[in-house]
Amino acid sequence: MQINVLHRPAQALAQVWLQPGEAIVAESGALVGMTPNVQMQTQSGGVMSGLKRMFGGESFFRNTFTAQQGNGEVLLAHALPGDMAVLEMTPEGYFLQSSAFIASSPGVNIDTKLGGFRGFFSGAGVFVLKATTQSPGQLLVGGFGGLQELVCDGNLVIDTGHLVAWDATLQYQVGKSGAGWIASFLSGEGLVCHFQGRGRIWVQTRNPVEYGRAVGSQLPPRE
Amino acid sequence: MDVQPQQGHALATAPPQGIAGPASGSGTPHEITHGPAFAMLRVDLAPGQVVVAEAGAMVARHQGVGMEVKLNASRSAGFFGLVQAFVIAIIRRLVGGETFFVNHFSAPRGGSVWLAPAMSGQVFHRRLQGGAITLSTGAFLASSGDVDLALKFGGLRAIFAREGAFFLEARGHGDLWFTSYGGIEAIDVNGSYIVDNGHLVGFEGALTFDIHAAGGGAMGLFASGEGLVCEFKGQGRVYIQSRNQGSLLQWLRPLVGA
Repeated sequence: MQINVLHRPAQALAQVWLQPGEAIVAESGALVGMTPNVQMQTQSGGVMSGLKRMFGGESFFRNTFTAQQGNGEVLLAHALPGDMAVLEMTPEGYFLQSSAFIASSPGVNIDTKLGGFRGFFSGAGVFVLKATTQSPGQLLVGGFGGLQELVCDGNLVIDTGHLVAWDATLQYQVGKSGAGWIASFLSGEGLVCHFQGRGRIWVQTRNPVEYGRAVGSQLPPRE
Repeated sequence: MDVQPQQGHALATAPPQGIAGPASGSGTPHEITHGPAFAMLRVDLAPGQVVVAEAGAMVARHQGVGMEVKLNASRSAGFFGLVQAFVIAIIRRLVGGETFFVNHFSAPRGGSVWLAPAMSGQVFHRRLQGGAITLSTGAFLASSGDVDLALKFGGLRAIFAREGAFFLEARGHGDLWFTSYGGIEAIDVNGSYIVDNGHLVGFEGALTFDIHAAGGGAMGLFASGEGLVCEFKGQGRVYIQSRNQGSLLQWLRPLVGA
């Protein structure tokens, strides 16, 4: 499998080349196009894991694309304008903010985890996804805006609305950004994630909720 | 080659500062990446240095960088200044644009802070050396050094249009970073130049401006789809953005109600 990201960074489109018999698992709704010899199979992996995924902010179903008889090509896109990144799986794996997942190799196990109780109040970071694998594989993640890889060497504080993915080697804790809850609220920064240890963190240069607020406050109420 | 314009304007020939790459010698070390669509700003703070940023703009910071939320008033402001800042903050809250509060980031032992605006657009750096630059509401992202921010009234007619009623004037010595919806283009004006209010980011220099309908009286105002324009006269530089939030809203509105 080879993944090539085109039209970066604003309108990224992932071009996935599959060898005969090879497959990729993608978030439902991510498909843009595919060659006719690619077969799509929809599965929830059981009702419970489907429901768990829905709680995690993903869709109930996931699609598996398999190339039959010859090489196949699948084009995948993210719902929001922004960049995508291909992460090579590591023994420790990755944590993902739930809407960042686009696709992965079939051997990659995506599990929904509770991200931290405090996240409950912001709507961000209630659940996170953990991607792990026994064999080599790839993970395709997408963000709103550009993607920036930051190296955490010690400590780093990231706004939860800008978080995309991070190495599972890092310790993290969701908390308030300022000294007190009131200051945190007034600062407009909401919740942040405090990281400790060594590892990489991918951030998105735009915050979907902030963007929605900037535009949505000027729209008429929904009927 | 002399490309002096016929109508008294020119796209600025000098490369806009701060569009990409690390900053040159003067000013606070910073880097603007991911422009023009999704620009993000990283400011490297020296020990004791402070950067003032629009509330909600923080993406990340080193743990050693402290954040303090403050009312948007100049550092020398007394009690009256604070009351004035509070009133201005309420007005700004009502007309939209920037929020009540700004965050002061400081690093006792040095460190970086990453900032990004809410809309998809560019971040532009301007080093102020005693001069002033006037920004549309919502265009301010951050400043460092001795930069004062003051609210300016755009004129009575601008009240009737949603855009251009208030401007923010940044004055002093230091770095200023402002933002846009879309890309930013700097236009050198010598004579007069007309900009759609929704596309105006800011201006500087010896410019006077007048807000009026694009032309053709009432019909021009309501039917041309251009709304109000800003007519600049004099010598200076006008910053425009390649997208307009009003048009985005117009496109979204019918999609939301359905």
